[in-house]
Amino acid sequence: MCDVCGCHSHSHDHGHDHGHGHGHDHQHDQPAGNEALIVDINRSLFAANDAMARSNREHFDADGVITVNLISSPGSGKTTLLEHTIDRLGGEIAIGVIEGDIETERDAQRIRAKGVPAIQLTTGGACHLDASMIHRAYHQLQKEAGGDRLDLVVIENVGNLVCPATFDLGEHQRIVLVSVPEGPDKPAKYPKAFTSSQVFLITKTDLLPYFDFPVEEATREALVLNPALKVMAFSSTTGEGFDAWLEHLRSLVNRRRTQSERA
Amino acid sequence: MHEISLVQNLLQQLRDIARENKASRVLRVTMLIGPLSGVVVDSFTFGFDILAREDDLFRDATLDIVVPPAIFRCSSCGHQEETDGERPECCTACGDRIIIAHGGDDLILQQVEME
Repeated sequence: MCDVCGCHSHSHDHGHDHGHGHGHDHQHDQPAGNEALIVDINRSLFAANDAMARSNREHFDADGVITVNLISSPGSGKTTLLEHTIDRLGGEIAIGVIEGDIETERDAQRIRAKGVPAIQLTTGGACHLDASMIHRAYHQLQKEAGGDRLDLVVIENVGNLVCPATFDLGEHQRIVLVSVPEGPDKPAKYPKAFTSSQVFLITKTDLLPYFDFPVEEATREALVLNPALKVMAFSSTTGEGFDAWLEHLRSLVNRRRTQSERA
Repeated sequence: MHEISLVQNLLQQLRDIARENKASRVLRVTMLIGPLSGVVVDSFTFGFDILAREDDLFRDATLDIVVPPAIFRCSSCGHQEETDGERPECCTACGDRIIIAHGGDDLILQQVEME
């Protein structure tokens, strides 16, 4: 049972990150008087988040849900991508959305207007989402879906190419977006967003005639950092190249459905 | 500035460790911060200085930071290079450009000195 909300979470997470065994080797001798006590801890500050992320992933797996985490700068087209994805796939795939922003419900309202359940997380200034926020939001999302099964949960992270790259949310795929007006040097400048992602989307390709954005060069720079990246370039608004993205999501969901049927 | 939330997480861990060890003052905290951890050492130190001052337990604590090198390995020839975090443009042994970081992204509370 998870301590955050009492759900039957699969990992044994306690909200703090040392287990029953107290893995660090603290000494049990009382310090005598004012004598300094030196204790070796050797514990990652990411451990609590990583444990919660593992628990989230087990949760998604048990529910047969595929989860993706979209990260990008503000304004690179994450919400627009989602709106068009829902328009095209909403009939065949049950999609739920978790929106992360510093303030306002605006993005969740845009998604709900498409008839899809959406939860808005407002971080009140924090620059990224963490695994425990996703844990809570996922339960709210299930409630909002009213018991309907979800195939795909899309997490739209806070617009920021730096901090979200450091926090595992328990997603199955991390997807980094760069829009054409932002320029092709983002992989070189923000390497962690690209080394920790599985998919790189170049968006707003309808603007290529107006900006100096050599798609091949941006792709090459990203693949130098992470040769396993799957790269797609498209325009959500004109639909050019968009089918490859839809096909990618379909194959993720279908693979999961096949796994669930076998299990 | 996710460093502030990471410092808050650190201070909470220190409170637990101090309580477990029945210590009333934390004197020295040693953190290992990898150059590829996504944590800016100056921001982390700044956050620690500000937040530690609010609690008597840490008021006089010194924060020591160990920064290990980042290790980059060429995916063609396996040659390894250590840097301060900057990714080599290409492999100095074979010239290939696909160089993958190994480690260097740790953020670890190593040691606490208290009384």
